[in-house]
Amino acid sequence: MIEVRDLTIGYGDRLVLEGINFDVRRGEVFAILGVSGSGKSTLLKHMIGLYQPIRGDVVISGASIVHAEGDERLRILRKFGVLYQSGALFGSLTTVENVRLPLDEFTDLPEVAKDLIALSKLRLVGLESAATKLPADLSGGMQKRAGIARAIVMDPCLLFLDEPSAGLDPITSAGLDALIRELARGLGITFVMVTHELASIYSVADRVVVLDPKTRGIAAEGAPSWLRENANQPWVRQFLKREAA
Amino acid sequence: MPEKSSVDLPVRWNLSVRPDGTGKLEFEGELDAESTPVAWRSLESELAGIKVASFEIDVRQLVCDSAGLALLYYLSVGAMTPGANVNLTGLSPELQHLLRGFSTKDFQALQEHEPTCSSFIEDVGAATWSWLCDLRQQVEFIGEVTVGVMMSLFRPRLMHWKEVVRVFEVAGVNALPVVSLLTFLVGMVIAFESAQPLEQLGAQVFVANLLGLVMSRELGPVMAAIMLAGRSGSAFAAELGTMKVNEELNALQTMGLSPVQFLVVQRVVAGILLTPVLTIFAMYAGLLGGIPVLLGLGFPLRMVLHQVQSGLHFGDLAEGLSKSIVFGAIVASVSCLRGLQTGEGPRAVGESTTRSVVSSILLIILADAIIAAVTYTLRK
Repeated sequence: MIEVRDLTIGYGDRLVLEGINFDVRRGEVFAILGVSGSGKSTLLKHMIGLYQPIRGDVVISGASIVHAEGDERLRILRKFGVLYQSGALFGSLTTVENVRLPLDEFTDLPEVAKDLIALSKLRLVGLESAATKLPADLSGGMQKRAGIARAIVMDPCLLFLDEPSAGLDPITSAGLDALIRELARGLGITFVMVTHELASIYSVADRVVVLDPKTRGIAAEGAPSWLRENANQPWVRQFLKREAA
Repeated sequence: MPEKSSVDLPVRWNLSVRPDGTGKLEFEGELDAESTPVAWRSLESELAGIKVASFEIDVRQLVCDSAGLALLYYLSVGAMTPGANVNLTGLSPELQHLLRGFSTKDFQALQEHEPTCSSFIEDVGAATWSWLCDLRQQVEFIGEVTVGVMMSLFRPRLMHWKEVVRVFEVAGVNALPVVSLLTFLVGMVIAFESAQPLEQLGAQVFVANLLGLVMSRELGPVMAAIMLAGRSGSAFAAELGTMKVNEELNALQTMGLSPVQFLVVQRVVAGILLTPVLTIFAMYAGLLGGIPVLLGLGFPLRMVLHQVQSGLHFGDLAEGLSKSIVFGAIVASVSCLRGLQTGEGPRAVGESTTRSVVSSILLIILADAIIAAVTYTLRK
């Protein structure tokens, strides 16, 4: 589904990650882990084409997002949805208007169809009763669920999540994990998520990569429960067991 | 009934209606976001004139996404075949699960929802109440700032002079080129505009006197203050507004520090000190702008300078500089107040910035009018 090849990223002269390689398989929930400042969110932003890497490539379903331009880039962008940390809902639009925005911009569907689709996605994330509310009237967890509804409204096969559990209470966070599992298994969506929440990782992630800020590379890759006991580096095991160094 | 189909789309359908009033619609192919709009409109027009008692939709040969499901749902609830008993067959279990997410109840609730619209009287009442609350906040704020400035005078340790110097540099020194350019051009325009009517009266030489008086008593301080409001007042409001959104002001309060003492007093003191400096530059730049015009009209430089000197008195300069101190205090304090009043959400900082500029300019003109009326009465 995604191939990250020899990717070197950074800001100006400062390298964040150097020559990293990994694959994300179709239908899996893949998590990017690491300590603060290891470059998780920066890596995600390169994977979705927001930033240009210094070297290397990110290939999504056979097409390079790094080198694509114009219509080809738009075609790649339409294959995936993104949930940003804050939900990134537009404050002047109601929840349902936020969700149907991609349908308004990219399809020629009748108005009734757009409303029906947007409402079905809101029902999928449990927000059908908040359709006419403004984002300011929604809680943090509701904003994230509305963000997911907007991200899946065009039926993408791939969803990127940036810190989906950040700032949420454990119950809301567990609800969001359940939603991710349902979407992954029910709709076959591939997930790539950046998160600090170990409970979420053990609950939803099939595989993880752990970024190492010292070597600017990948410290470990595999199933989270396996890495917790068998990772080569002791700090990775400590990290996954949530033990103090 | 003849069979109908579309050949240009990845989806085909056959519509048949029997004489006994039963209809059948068979789909084949793919209904996606691109093919669904065309299929939707075609089917709507094809089914418009047809009356059926029962209607079967066969989707065994169909692949579809959410857009296609929306069409199937719309057909299955009988929206295109009113009164018919509709039966949808051949849908895979996965798509059946997704189809259950569509709801007529949700759709009707959305259609019936109307944005709440308050009455005119309620709006007037709310606006008046908001204005009174704002007025009260302004009075309280003036009191707080005055106390803060006084405390800083008696206990200089409380004043962050480094911050005053920084604001003086950013809002004052860095604004000199633009203030000078603006007032230079205004001086030039005034000289051009006044030269013609004064020529008709044979008093063209008095353009220099007019320019000196206007720039020192009125336009110098007002232009400098308006530039300060647009350039630096908006920056004060945005800076404090962002601090409020980032909860930095809450952090100050919980540390036992007053945001007014810690952030506002420095800016107000800097504003009061820098506006007279900007005003002096504005006055001179305005006069310099008029001089080339007067030289072009044939008056020698010596004569122009003599006219300016004879027309200007110390009182005129003092009046202009006194005004500038008032304007500086107004711009700095109103901008800081608007910054501290910033609400929540991404638009709040922008709104505060706009309010700071509008309020500052309004109060500058209001104060100018009051000062003009008072000085006129005193001169009589």
